[in-house]
Amino acid sequence: MSQADTVELVIPCRPEYVGVARLAVLGIASRMPFSYDEVEDVRLAVGEACTHAVERAGSSEAKIKIVSTVDPHSLVIEVTDDVPAGAPVAAPVDDTQLLADGVDTQGLGALLMEILVDEVKIAAGQSGTTVRLTKYAPE
Amino acid sequence: MAQKTSGSDGAQEDLETLFARYLRTRDPQLRDRLVLMHQNLVRYLAGKFMNRGEPLDDLVQVGMIGLINAIDRFDASRGTKFSTYATPTIVGEIRRYFRDKAWSLKVPRRLQELNQAASKAQEELRRTLGRPPTIQEVALRLGASEEETLEAMELGNAYDTVSLDSKMSGDGENTATSLADFLGAEDDSLTTIDAYGDLDSALDALDPRERAIIVHRFFSDMSQSEVAKQLNISQMHVSRLQNRALQHLKRLMNNDS
Repeated sequence: MSQADTVELVIPCRPEYVGVARLAVLGIASRMPFSYDEVEDVRLAVGEACTHAVERAGSSEAKIKIVSTVDPHSLVIEVTDDVPAGAPVAAPVDDTQLLADGVDTQGLGALLMEILVDEVKIAAGQSGTTVRLTKYAPE
Repeated sequence: MAQKTSGSDGAQEDLETLFARYLRTRDPQLRDRLVLMHQNLVRYLAGKFMNRGEPLDDLVQVGMIGLINAIDRFDASRGTKFSTYATPTIVGEIRRYFRDKAWSLKVPRRLQELNQAASKAQEELRRTLGRPPTIQEVALRLGASEEETLEAMELGNAYDTVSLDSKMSGDGENTATSLADFLGAEDDSLTTIDAYGDLDSALDALDPRERAIIVHRFFSDMSQSEVAKQLNISQMHVSRLQNRALQHLKRLMNNDS
Protein backbone atom coordinates (compact mmCIF):
# COMPACT_ATOMS: atom_id res chain seq x y z
CA MET A 1 0.00 0.00 0.00
CA SER A 2 2.59 2.55 -1.07
CA GLN A 3 0.22 4.79 -3.03
CA ALA A 4 -3.45 5.59 -2.69
CA ASP A 5 -6.07 3.03 -3.62
CA THR A 6 -9.59 4.12 -4.48
CA VAL A 7 -12.81 2.18 -4.15
CA GLU A 8 -16.08 3.51 -5.56
CA LEU A 9 -19.56 2.34 -4.75
CA VAL A 10 -22.87 3.70 -6.02
CA ILE A 11 -26.05 2.67 -4.22
CA PRO A 12 -29.70 3.64 -4.50
CA CYS A 13 -30.52 6.29 -1.90
CA ARG A 14 -32.82 3.97 0.06
CA PRO A 15 -32.64 2.61 3.62
CA GLU A 16 -32.16 -1.02 2.59
CA TYR A 17 -28.89 -0.16 0.83
CA VAL A 18 -27.27 1.69 3.72
CA GLY A 19 -26.21 -1.67 5.13
CA VAL A 20 -24.43 -2.44 1.85
CA ALA A 21 -22.40 0.76 2.17
CA ARG A 22 -21.62 -0.03 5.80
CA LEU A 23 -20.43 -3.54 4.91
CA ALA A 24 -18.22 -2.23 2.11
CA VAL A 25 -16.74 0.39 4.43
CA LEU A 26 -16.04 -2.31 7.00
CA GLY A 27 -13.93 -4.11 4.44
CA ILE A 28 -12.20 -0.96 3.24
CA ALA A 29 -11.47 0.43 6.72
CA SER A 30 -10.00 -2.94 7.66
CA ARG A 31 -7.23 -2.24 5.14
CA MET A 32 -6.03 0.53 7.49
CA PRO A 33 -4.04 -0.04 10.69
CA PHE A 34 -7.17 0.74 12.72
CA SER A 35 -8.41 -1.00 15.85
CA TYR A 36 -11.77 -2.70 15.77
CA ASP A 37 -13.40 0.26 17.53
CA GLU A 38 -11.91 2.69 15.02
CA VAL A 39 -13.16 0.62 12.10
CA GLU A 40 -16.60 0.59 13.72
CA ASP A 41 -16.45 4.37 14.21
CA VAL A 42 -15.77 4.90 10.51
CA ARG A 43 -18.52 2.51 9.60
CA LEU A 44 -20.98 4.30 11.88
CA ALA A 45 -20.00 7.72 10.49
CA VAL A 46 -20.55 6.56 6.89
CA GLY A 47 -23.85 5.00 7.93
CA GLU A 48 -24.92 8.35 9.38
CA ALA A 49 -23.94 10.21 6.22
CA CYS A 50 -25.92 7.75 4.09
CA THR A 51 -28.91 7.75 6.43
CA HIS A 52 -29.19 11.51 6.25
CA ALA A 53 -29.02 11.42 2.48
CA VAL A 54 -31.82 8.83 2.55
CA GLU A 55 -33.93 10.98 4.85
CA ARG A 56 -33.62 13.93 2.49
CA ALA A 57 -34.19 11.87 -0.65
CA GLY A 58 -37.68 10.81 0.34
CA SER A 59 -39.10 8.56 -2.36
CA SER A 60 -37.03 9.99 -5.22
CA GLU A 61 -34.74 8.03 -7.52
CA ALA A 62 -31.66 9.49 -5.87
CA LYS A 63 -28.33 7.72 -5.62
CA ILE A 64 -25.43 7.83 -3.21
CA LYS A 65 -21.85 7.57 -4.40
CA ILE A 66 -19.25 6.50 -1.85
CA VAL A 67 -15.63 7.05 -2.84
CA SER A 68 -13.06 5.69 -0.41
CA THR A 69 -9.39 6.55 -0.74
CA VAL A 70 -6.97 4.47 1.24
CA ASP A 71 -3.37 5.59 1.63
CA PRO A 72 -0.74 4.84 4.28
CA HIS A 73 -1.63 7.95 6.29
CA SER A 74 -5.37 8.31 6.07
CA LEU A 75 -8.70 6.96 4.98
CA VAL A 76 -10.88 9.52 3.20
CA ILE A 77 -14.47 8.64 2.43
CA GLU A 78 -16.68 10.94 0.38
CA VAL A 79 -20.38 10.32 0.55
CA THR A 80 -22.14 12.23 -2.23
CA ASP A 81 -25.86 12.26 -2.93
CA ASP A 82 -27.77 13.92 -5.75
CA VAL A 83 -30.57 15.25 -3.56
CA PRO A 84 -30.83 19.05 -3.94
CA ALA A 85 -30.08 20.99 -0.77
CA GLY A 86 -33.14 22.28 1.02
CA ALA A 87 -35.25 19.24 0.23
CA PRO A 88 -37.66 18.51 3.06
CA VAL A 89 -36.37 15.95 5.55
CA ALA A 90 -38.51 12.92 6.13
CA ALA A 91 -38.70 12.09 9.81
CA PRO A 92 -37.36 8.61 10.39
CA VAL A 93 -39.82 6.47 12.31
CA ASP A 94 -37.56 5.78 15.28
CA ASP A 95 -36.72 9.46 15.74
CA THR A 96 -40.24 10.89 15.99
CA GLN A 97 -40.01 11.09 19.75
CA LEU A 98 -36.76 13.02 19.46
CA LEU A 99 -38.27 15.42 16.95
CA ALA A 100 -41.16 15.99 19.33
CA ASP A 101 -38.54 16.84 21.97
CA GLY A 102 -37.26 19.54 19.61
CA VAL A 103 -34.04 17.71 18.69
CA ASP A 104 -32.71 18.14 15.16
CA THR A 105 -31.55 14.66 14.18
CA GLN A 106 -29.78 15.87 11.03
CA GLY A 107 -27.66 18.17 13.17
CA LEU A 108 -27.19 15.35 15.64
CA GLY A 109 -25.93 13.07 12.88
CA ALA A 110 -23.38 15.66 11.78
CA LEU A 111 -22.28 16.05 15.38
CA LEU A 112 -21.95 12.30 15.75
CA MET A 113 -19.77 12.10 12.63
CA GLU A 114 -17.48 14.78 14.04
CA ILE A 115 -17.04 12.80 17.22
CA LEU A 116 -16.31 9.57 15.34
CA VAL A 117 -13.75 10.64 12.72
CA ASP A 118 -10.94 13.20 12.63
CA GLU A 119 -12.38 15.56 10.00
CA VAL A 120 -15.84 16.18 8.61
CA LYS A 121 -16.54 18.56 5.73
CA ILE A 122 -20.09 18.99 4.53
CA ALA A 123 -20.75 20.79 1.26
CA ALA A 124 -24.41 21.22 0.32
CA GLY A 125 -25.43 22.54 -3.08
CA GLN A 126 -28.17 22.47 -5.70
CA SER A 127 -26.84 19.29 -7.26
CA GLY A 128 -26.52 17.45 -3.96
CA THR A 129 -24.53 17.12 -0.75
CA THR A 130 -21.04 15.77 -0.21
CA VAL A 131 -19.88 14.63 3.20
CA ARG A 132 -16.12 14.15 3.34
CA LEU A 133 -14.92 12.03 6.26
CA THR A 134 -11.23 11.68 7.11
CA LYS A 135 -9.70 9.33 9.60
CA TYR A 136 -5.94 9.39 10.08
CA ALA A 137 -3.84 6.31 10.62
CA PRO A 138 -2.28 6.09 14.10
CA GLU A 139 1.35 7.27 14.31
CA MET B 1 -47.36 20.48 11.73
CA ALA B 2 -47.62 24.11 12.81
CA GLN B 3 -49.03 23.00 16.09
CA LYS B 4 -46.19 20.54 16.57
CA THR B 5 -43.62 23.23 15.85
CA SER B 6 -45.11 25.64 18.35
CA GLY B 7 -45.38 22.72 20.77
CA SER B 8 -41.68 21.93 20.54
CA ASP B 9 -40.82 25.62 20.77
CA GLY B 10 -42.82 25.71 23.94
CA ALA B 11 -40.97 22.66 25.18
CA GLN B 12 -37.70 24.33 24.30
CA GLU B 13 -38.66 27.38 26.29
CA ASP B 14 -39.68 25.31 29.27
CA LEU B 15 -36.41 23.47 29.00
CA GLU B 16 -34.40 26.66 29.19
CA THR B 17 -36.31 27.75 32.28
CA LEU B 18 -35.79 24.35 33.86
CA PHE B 19 -32.07 24.38 33.16
CA ALA B 20 -31.71 27.92 34.47
CA ARG B 21 -33.53 26.88 37.62
CA TYR B 22 -31.40 23.78 38.02
CA LEU B 23 -28.23 25.85 37.57
CA ARG B 24 -29.35 28.02 40.51
CA THR B 25 -30.88 25.46 42.83
CA ARG B 26 -29.13 22.14 42.02
CA ASP B 27 -32.38 20.53 43.06
CA PRO B 28 -32.00 16.72 42.66
CA GLN B 29 -35.69 16.35 41.79
CA LEU B 30 -35.28 18.84 39.01
CA ARG B 31 -32.28 16.93 37.77
CA ASP B 32 -34.32 13.71 37.71
CA ARG B 33 -36.90 15.48 35.61
CA LEU B 34 -34.28 16.71 33.16
CA VAL B 35 -32.82 13.21 32.91
CA LEU B 36 -36.23 11.74 32.11
CA MET B 37 -36.85 14.43 29.51
CA HIS B 38 -33.70 13.48 27.66
CA GLN B 39 -33.67 9.73 27.92
CA ASN B 40 -34.81 9.50 24.30
CA LEU B 41 -31.66 11.27 23.21
CA VAL B 42 -29.57 8.70 25.10
CA ARG B 43 -31.58 5.83 23.62
CA TYR B 44 -31.19 7.25 20.14
CA LEU B 45 -27.43 7.63 20.46
CA ALA B 46 -26.93 4.29 22.23
CA GLY B 47 -28.87 2.62 19.42
CA LYS B 48 -26.23 3.78 16.97
CA PHE B 49 -23.65 1.60 18.72
CA MET B 50 -25.83 -1.46 18.95
CA ASN B 51 -24.10 -3.71 16.45
CA ARG B 52 -20.85 -3.77 18.42
CA GLY B 53 -22.18 -6.62 20.47
CA GLU B 54 -23.10 -5.02 23.79
CA PRO B 55 -26.70 -5.13 25.06
CA LEU B 56 -28.58 -1.89 24.32
CA ASP B 57 -29.60 -1.56 27.97
CA ASP B 58 -25.95 -1.45 29.05
CA LEU B 59 -25.19 1.22 26.47
CA VAL B 60 -28.21 3.25 27.59
CA GLN B 61 -27.02 3.01 31.19
CA VAL B 62 -23.53 4.35 30.49
CA GLY B 63 -25.08 6.93 28.19
CA MET B 64 -27.23 8.08 31.11
CA ILE B 65 -24.06 8.77 33.11
CA GLY B 66 -22.94 11.03 30.28
CA LEU B 67 -26.35 12.69 30.27
CA ILE B 68 -26.21 13.39 34.01
CA ASN B 69 -22.72 14.87 33.67
CA ALA B 70 -23.93 17.06 30.83
CA ILE B 71 -26.95 18.25 32.81
CA ASP B 72 -24.70 19.18 35.72
CA ARG B 73 -22.38 21.23 33.54
CA PHE B 74 -24.84 22.77 31.10
CA ASP B 75 -25.35 26.51 31.10
CA ALA B 76 -28.33 27.47 28.92
CA SER B 77 -27.35 31.13 28.92
CA ARG B 78 -24.45 30.35 26.57
CA GLY B 79 -26.89 29.82 23.76
CA THR B 80 -26.06 26.19 22.93
CA LYS B 81 -28.89 23.71 22.54
CA PHE B 82 -28.76 21.09 25.25
CA SER B 83 -28.87 18.15 22.80
CA THR B 84 -25.85 19.60 20.99
CA TYR B 85 -24.04 20.11 24.26
CA ALA B 86 -24.87 16.69 25.69
CA THR B 87 -24.25 14.51 22.63
CA PRO B 88 -20.41 14.49 22.80
CA THR B 89 -20.57 13.72 26.52
CA ILE B 90 -23.05 10.86 26.07
CA VAL B 91 -21.23 9.39 23.06
CA GLY B 92 -17.91 9.84 24.85
CA GLU B 93 -19.19 7.80 27.77
CA ILE B 94 -20.43 5.03 25.46
CA ARG B 95 -17.18 4.87 23.50
CA ARG B 96 -15.15 4.83 26.69
CA TYR B 97 -17.23 1.89 27.83
CA PHE B 98 -16.14 -0.07 24.75
CA ARG B 99 -12.55 1.00 25.21
CA ASP B 100 -12.41 0.09 28.89
CA LYS B 101 -13.89 -3.30 28.22
CA ALA B 102 -11.01 -3.96 25.83
CA TRP B 103 -13.79 -4.97 23.56
CA SER B 104 -11.50 -5.75 20.66
CA LEU B 105 -10.38 -8.91 22.42
CA LYS B 106 -13.91 -10.18 22.59
CA VAL B 107 -14.89 -9.49 19.03
CA PRO B 108 -13.94 -12.92 17.78
CA ARG B 109 -16.23 -14.45 20.37
CA ARG B 110 -19.17 -12.29 19.32
CA LEU B 111 -18.61 -13.11 15.69
CA GLN B 112 -18.06 -16.72 16.55
CA GLU B 113 -21.35 -16.91 18.40
CA LEU B 114 -23.27 -15.19 15.65
CA ASN B 115 -21.48 -17.31 13.08
CA GLN B 116 -22.46 -20.50 14.87
CA ALA B 117 -26.04 -19.32 15.21
CA ALA B 118 -26.02 -18.50 11.50
CA SER B 119 -24.74 -21.95 10.52
CA LYS B 120 -27.36 -23.57 12.71
CA ALA B 121 -30.13 -21.41 11.29
CA GLN B 122 -28.93 -22.16 7.78
CA GLU B 123 -29.04 -25.86 8.40
CA GLU B 124 -32.47 -25.77 10.01
CA LEU B 125 -33.88 -23.61 7.24
CA ARG B 126 -32.37 -25.85 4.61
CA ARG B 127 -34.24 -28.75 6.16
CA THR B 128 -37.60 -27.01 6.46
CA LEU B 129 -37.42 -25.24 3.10
CA GLY B 130 -35.84 -28.08 1.16
CA ARG B 131 -33.37 -25.61 -0.39
CA PRO B 132 -30.52 -23.42 0.84
CA PRO B 133 -32.00 -20.35 2.60
CA THR B 134 -31.35 -16.80 1.43
CA ILE B 135 -29.37 -14.37 3.59
CA GLN B 136 -32.62 -12.53 4.31
CA GLU B 137 -34.20 -15.70 5.63
CA VAL B 138 -31.20 -16.48 7.84
CA ALA B 139 -31.15 -12.90 9.16
CA LEU B 140 -34.86 -13.08 9.92
CA ARG B 141 -34.40 -16.34 11.81
CA LEU B 142 -31.50 -14.88 13.83
CA GLY B 143 -33.31 -11.63 14.53
CA ALA B 144 -30.22 -9.85 13.21
CA SER B 145 -29.79 -7.43 10.34
CA GLU B 146 -28.66 -8.72 6.96
CA GLU B 147 -25.51 -6.71 7.42
CA GLU B 148 -24.66 -8.37 10.74
CA THR B 149 -25.51 -11.80 9.38
CA LEU B 150 -23.26 -11.38 6.37
CA GLU B 151 -20.47 -10.00 8.51
CA ALA B 152 -20.67 -12.90 10.92
CA MET B 153 -20.74 -15.44 8.11
CA GLU B 154 -17.86 -13.77 6.32
CA LEU B 155 -15.57 -12.83 9.20
CA GLY B 156 -16.69 -15.48 11.64
CA ASN B 157 -15.41 -18.31 9.47
CA ALA B 158 -11.87 -17.76 10.70
CA TYR B 159 -13.00 -18.33 14.26
CA ASP B 160 -15.52 -21.03 13.62
CA THR B 161 -15.54 -23.83 16.11
CA VAL B 162 -17.93 -26.73 15.74
CA SER B 163 -18.96 -29.32 18.27
CA LEU B 164 -17.75 -32.84 17.58
CA ASP B 165 -21.27 -33.97 18.33
CA SER B 166 -22.83 -31.64 15.78
CA LYS B 167 -25.01 -33.58 13.40
CA MET B 168 -23.91 -33.76 9.84
CA SER B 169 -26.65 -33.09 7.35
CA GLY B 170 -26.56 -36.31 5.40
CA ASP B 171 -28.69 -36.73 2.32
CA GLY B 172 -29.51 -40.27 3.32
CA GLU B 173 -31.69 -41.57 6.13
CA ASN B 174 -28.74 -41.86 8.46
CA THR B 175 -29.25 -38.62 10.38
CA ALA B 176 -27.47 -39.78 13.52
CA THR B 177 -24.08 -39.16 11.95
CA SER B 178 -22.03 -36.67 13.90
CA LEU B 179 -18.96 -34.76 12.87
CA ALA B 180 -16.79 -36.96 15.11
CA ASP B 181 -17.62 -39.95 12.91
CA PHE B 182 -15.83 -38.29 10.04
CA LEU B 183 -12.65 -37.60 11.93
CA GLY B 184 -9.86 -40.14 11.81
CA ALA B 185 -8.19 -41.46 14.94
CA GLU B 186 -4.59 -40.62 15.66
CA ASP B 187 -2.47 -42.67 13.29
CA ASP B 188 -0.33 -44.90 15.50
CA SER B 189 2.03 -45.81 12.67
CA LEU B 190 3.14 -42.16 12.64
CA THR B 191 4.34 -42.35 16.22
CA THR B 192 6.31 -45.53 15.48
CA ILE B 193 8.13 -44.07 12.50
CA ASP B 194 11.11 -43.28 14.70
CA ALA B 195 11.25 -46.87 15.91
CA TYR B 196 11.32 -48.13 12.32
CA GLY B 197 14.70 -46.55 11.84
CA ASP B 198 16.03 -48.66 14.67
CA LEU B 199 14.32 -51.77 13.34
CA ASP B 200 15.94 -51.32 9.94
CA SER B 201 19.44 -51.42 11.32
CA ALA B 202 18.53 -54.27 13.67
CA LEU B 203 17.22 -56.32 10.74
CA ASP B 204 20.53 -55.85 8.98
CA ALA B 205 22.26 -57.44 11.93
CA LEU B 206 20.20 -60.65 11.68
CA ASP B 207 21.48 -63.67 9.77
CA PRO B 208 19.93 -64.01 6.30
CA ARG B 209 17.48 -66.77 7.17
CA GLU B 210 16.16 -65.07 10.29
CA ARG B 211 15.78 -61.85 8.34
CA ALA B 212 13.91 -63.65 5.55
CA ILE B 213 11.45 -65.11 8.07
CA ILE B 214 10.79 -61.76 9.73
CA VAL B 215 10.31 -60.00 6.38
CA HIS B 216 7.99 -62.72 5.03
CA ARG B 217 5.98 -62.99 8.20
CA PHE B 218 5.58 -59.36 9.20
CA PHE B 219 6.12 -57.33 6.04
CA SER B 220 4.56 -59.65 3.46
CA ASP B 221 1.91 -60.98 5.84
CA MET B 222 2.70 -64.61 5.02
CA SER B 223 1.63 -67.41 7.35
CA GLN B 224 4.17 -69.66 9.01
CA SER B 225 3.31 -72.53 6.68
CA GLU B 226 3.69 -70.31 3.62
CA VAL B 227 7.09 -69.21 4.85
CA ALA B 228 7.96 -72.86 5.53
CA LYS B 229 7.09 -73.76 1.96
CA GLN B 230 9.05 -70.79 0.60
CA LEU B 231 12.20 -71.64 2.57
CA ASN B 232 11.66 -75.37 2.19
CA ILE B 233 11.78 -76.03 5.93
CA SER B 234 9.19 -77.31 8.41
CA GLN B 235 6.67 -75.01 9.98
CA MET B 236 7.97 -75.92 13.44
CA HIS B 237 11.37 -74.79 12.31
CA VAL B 238 9.96 -71.49 11.04
CA SER B 239 8.29 -70.97 14.41
CA ARG B 240 11.51 -71.61 16.30
CA LEU B 241 13.61 -69.41 13.99
CA GLN B 242 11.03 -66.68 14.17
CA ASN B 243 11.05 -66.66 17.97
CA ARG B 244 14.80 -66.57 18.01
CA ALA B 245 14.86 -63.75 15.44
CA LEU B 246 12.36 -61.70 17.45
CA GLN B 247 14.39 -62.17 20.65
CA HIS B 248 17.45 -61.16 18.71
CA LEU B 249 15.74 -58.04 17.34
CA LYS B 250 14.47 -57.07 20.76
CA ARG B 251 17.95 -57.29 22.20
CA LEU B 252 19.46 -55.28 19.38
CA MET B 253 16.87 -52.54 19.60
CA ASN B 254 17.04 -52.29 23.39
CA ASN B 255 20.80 -51.90 23.17
CA ASP B 256 20.42 -49.12 20.65
CA SER B 257 18.16 -47.09 22.89
